[in-house]
Amino acid sequence: MLYFPQLSTGATGQFPIQKKLTARTIVNQSVQDYEIKLADPGAATTEWQISFAELNDQELAALEVLFAATEGRLTPFTFVDPTDNLLAWSEALNQAIWQADPLLTLTANIADPLGGTRAFQVSNAGLATQILQQAIAAPASLEYCLSVYVRSDQSAQVWLVQGSQTNAYTISPEWTRLASAGQQSNEDETISFGVALNPGSTVDVFGMQVEAQPAASLYKQTAETGGVYPNARFRDDVMTITTVGPNRNSCEMNIINVEHL
Amino acid sequence: MFPTLKTGAVMQYPGKRVLQFSTDVVRFLDGTEQRYRDYAAVLHRWTIKLDLLDESELAAYDQFFVSNQGSFGTFSFTDPWDGTVYANCSLAADTFAFTVTGEMRGATTVTVCENRT
Repeated sequence: MLYFPQLSTGATGQFPIQKKLTARTIVNQSVQDYEIKLADPGAATTEWQISFAELNDQELAALEVLFAATEGRLTPFTFVDPTDNLLAWSEALNQAIWQADPLLTLTANIADPLGGTRAFQVSNAGLATQILQQAIAAPASLEYCLSVYVRSDQSAQVWLVQGSQTNAYTISPEWTRLASAGQQSNEDETISFGVALNPGSTVDVFGMQVEAQPAASLYKQTAETGGVYPNARFRDDVMTITTVGPNRNSCEMNIINVEHL
Repeated sequence: MFPTLKTGAVMQYPGKRVLQFSTDVVRFLDGTEQRYRDYAAVLHRWTIKLDLLDESELAAYDQFFVSNQGSFGTFSFTDPWDGTVYANCSLAADTFAFTVTGEMRGATTVTVCENRT
């Protein structure tokens, strides 16, 4: 599996990052400015321009290896958007993409920490630990940070699940943002993230977020697509590298995701 | 719903809005002219230039663009100058771009246009 590498810091990109989304709309316009519009979702594209500076030789080599393996813009690779939440439907835990163990009950429209009612209440009526999780099509070997807002009136503990790792956290009736960062040692091409509830516990959950970096950034809402792009490509057949000294390299990467390719 | 910033504001200074009519002019040989209106009423357009946005605010605009499929979707927009609600508006472009130069330092520009109903 070809995928865009992380830097030694665990980050996928450096500032400044530019992201551009493009849609295609066919418009039939009358002289009075009445319009008939047709969407063309298959023509949507997403582009990133990432400028890397002060890369060491090892970090640069990882980028060069990927560029060589993809033969420039010929072959796709998996790109995890450094500006986005990698989970889809972050505020719709009842969507099919979320895998809930059978004894979990989900209740929507619960008050959330941002002043809305977009949280979910998750209850485990069973006698064993139950998990609510989502799998993303990204390499398990990257470093990820899972973050989520949780609270509970009656349960004192919740588990954050990241692949095969689970970590227990103490929670309270106040909203708390938990974060769990780590890296798996296996080479799986998917990895799951979620929360696990002890038997009989009920927890309010909001704003589940996964990022390919060592710490959580501000929560970002997502809908049907998360920030994982399994068919991204380099936009150009040229990779220009500037070296200003030993272990001091810079380059600029233009990456594009085109839905119809 | 068009996204608002965490402050509750829709726009930042400098705000720009455009009012547009369309007039057909028929000029005769003797210099006189007749004018016809093409639009039944004025059309509005707002250019919203935003700076120092945090990641959540940028993500809200990103999602809004995706859910509208660019300029295809319609939504209601409240004119921040006078509070008038324009029920049939669209994004003006099929492109949405933003730049992040640091943590909580995102910048973008969005143009909203009123559709003829």
